[in-house]
Amino acid sequence: MIIDINFIGLIIASIMASAVPLILASCGELITERSGVLNLGVEGMMIIGAISGFALMTVTGSLIIAIFGAMLAGVLISTIFAFLTQTLITNHVATGLALTIFGIGISAMIGKNFVGIPGKEFPVLFEGLKDTIPLLGPILFGHSIVFYFAFALPFITSYFLKKTKIGLIVRAVGDSPESASNQGINVRLVRYACILYGGAMSGLAGAYLSMIYTPQWIENMTGGRGWIALALVVFSTWNPIKILIGAMIFGGLTIIQFHMQAIGVRIPVQFLTALPYIVTIIVLVVISRDSRKIRLSTPSSLGKSFHKDN
Amino acid sequence: MNTNLKISNVTKIYPGCVANDNISLEFISGKIYALLGENGAGKSTLVKILSGVIIPDEGKIYLNENNLKLNSPLDAKKNDIGMVFQHFNLFETLSVFENLIIDSDEQRESVREKIDAIMKKYNFSIDLDIPVLNLSAGQKQKVEIIRCLIRSPKVLIMDEPTSVLTEQETSELFLSLKKFSDEGILIIYITHKLKEVMQLCDEVAVMRRGKLVSVSEIKNENIESLANKMVGQNLKTIKKKKAKTSSDQLIKITNLNFTSEDPFETNLMDINFSVNRGECLGIAGISGNGQSELFQVLSGEIISEKNSIEFNNNYIGDLSPQERREYLMAFSPEDRLEQAAIPQMKIFENVALNNFKSSNFFNNGLINENKIKEHSKKIISDFNVNTDNVELKSQFLSGGNLQKLIIGRELITSPDLLICFNPTWGLDVGAINYIHETLIKINEQNKSIILISTDTDELLKLSDKISVIHKGKLSKIMNSEEVTSEKLGILMGGAN
Repeated sequence: MIIDINFIGLIIASIMASAVPLILASCGELITERSGVLNLGVEGMMIIGAISGFALMTVTGSLIIAIFGAMLAGVLISTIFAFLTQTLITNHVATGLALTIFGIGISAMIGKNFVGIPGKEFPVLFEGLKDTIPLLGPILFGHSIVFYFAFALPFITSYFLKKTKIGLIVRAVGDSPESASNQGINVRLVRYACILYGGAMSGLAGAYLSMIYTPQWIENMTGGRGWIALALVVFSTWNPIKILIGAMIFGGLTIIQFHMQAIGVRIPVQFLTALPYIVTIIVLVVISRDSRKIRLSTPSSLGKSFHKDN
Repeated sequence: MNTNLKISNVTKIYPGCVANDNISLEFISGKIYALLGENGAGKSTLVKILSGVIIPDEGKIYLNENNLKLNSPLDAKKNDIGMVFQHFNLFETLSVFENLIIDSDEQRESVREKIDAIMKKYNFSIDLDIPVLNLSAGQKQKVEIIRCLIRSPKVLIMDEPTSVLTEQETSELFLSLKKFSDEGILIIYITHKLKEVMQLCDEVAVMRRGKLVSVSEIKNENIESLANKMVGQNLKTIKKKKAKTSSDQLIKITNLNFTSEDPFETNLMDINFSVNRGECLGIAGISGNGQSELFQVLSGEIISEKNSIEFNNNYIGDLSPQERREYLMAFSPEDRLEQAAIPQMKIFENVALNNFKSSNFFNNGLINENKIKEHSKKIISDFNVNTDNVELKSQFLSGGNLQKLIIGRELITSPDLLICFNPTWGLDVGAINYIHETLIKINEQNKSIILISTDTDELLKLSDKISVIHKGKLSKIMNSEEVTSEKLGILMGGAN
């Protein structure tokens, strides 16, 4: 059997495409968590982004408005979370869970009118270069702008945290909000900003699903990807590059197990479906075993409310 | 030009407590000022007001005749007031350099040059690129000081700076502070340690219960006069009568090792010692040298080999804390609110916690509240806990009262051995005296104590024998008459 080398390239490209929403949402949540805030509402923010993007695209016809609208929707819903946890000092976990339930519910309600409407084609870049290089061509070229952004994001995030002053402040707030406050850093402002940024990235991840990956609206179409994104952040030990690796493994196994089911491998379907979850976590745990590094990269104040007393 | 810092009629009221009651003080550079007082006297509130962390209800601060508006720590920094906090304000997981540049607007390179210059000038040597959590307490403090010096402050406030330092580190710190003072920085030194005031400062202001009690020059004071001003009454000095040492062995530790999986804990290596009945063994050391691991191994929070601990002729190394209590051991951990008591639970509930097996307290799985309350009332009156309400949540007890309750809870079962870890940490002089008296009484009743403490004076006062723990290893065990605090300091630093 001769396997077309470009076919392998296409499979890899499809794996990368399925990793995009995970990378976007995880990198956003990573910044939120690095500032010490645990937002379990990623799934809810993603699905809000998905329906907002799709609805705006259908109503306005503008892809740009739709994409930025989805991010704005993510920001708005995360503002609720920020207001509750930072201003009213509610519990992060409970508030995040409520956010997810709220997001799934409201997206289903808005989405009623959009079920069955076909999506629009999203423009891809460098389409013409696809056939110029064997194998690498389909991997590198012919993708949407969001795709390229997603694969740049872990590196940008890493650079931001390590090299920029604002990144340093974010890490400092996550390490010790009390010390940061005593140093004159406005902890609440930093955390608000990080939460809102996380919301924007989750919104973008959702829009990618409903506008580019499978251009249509289906109720509950995020299908637990928000939870996977959350798990990736933790199991990558808050390291953006490892998030990239984890998302690729997860995406890869999801695609491969589809193909295995299709060619009729004699393994129970349930096991195959569970495989990506299990393997991703095992791999990330194995590559993140250095407890010294875990201690250094874990935000010490994660999930703890900070209340400035006067 | 001289720096002149004036505090004028500052008042800060918290619900149920006046932290600062109409305080007025004046400081002029060239001198080192001490602000002396017990825990809760209001010193920390006052310096937090000076550093912008707390906003006063009333009163004004003047620096060189300018009225300062200190609404945030940033304002204090902008006005050249630097502060080194008692609990370090450092970011443990960030590198030293990152900690230093976080509040600076300059380029990284120019800050690094500045830091290098400061370190050279004052003979500090710290690796800038390792995370802060790898530093010793003394080094962390230097990082805090450098952070202030980068901004060339006019005023430098030190809040209880020596509570985590060794004797050697303390004298190094004093040298640096004197240098800063000679260079024109106004130094305000907050402490409750009288010796240090006498050693370092030129003028002293004493605070008690939120009020300013006196301002005077050091040359007109001595340790006793300051102590009396600080406490507000004449203190009796406690002295232990050295008992004849019995040869009746109570507990023996043999070849005890503990290897932690957490790289930030200390491994214990080859611990051997024994304690006789009626004896107090003191274990000295700088915090973080394996004391908490040793306490946990002794109390059974960490299980070790069965034969490594022999107590009353039983091998108990593999028993849990509850089982060890049945052999008449008792424990008073370091952290009163995290380890010894549950702050949200009521006093009587906390009393019941170390006594699950008692049939008095529990009948067929039900709680016998009346019995427990009766028992709690007995502890409260026997051990002088300043409340009569056993339904009070433990978090509302002061540190001293909570410690009395915890020690009382442990002692009321009349154990053969009490193991305590920093029992007087953060307490005021009155409470410390009470705890010390209680511990001496235990020895007089022919019962034993293992006292793990970072307070050398306390150890010399109470122990019959002393050993020093350094990096998880115990020094040889010495008779306390042969030991001086200088000698302990050297051993604590790791020398032989």
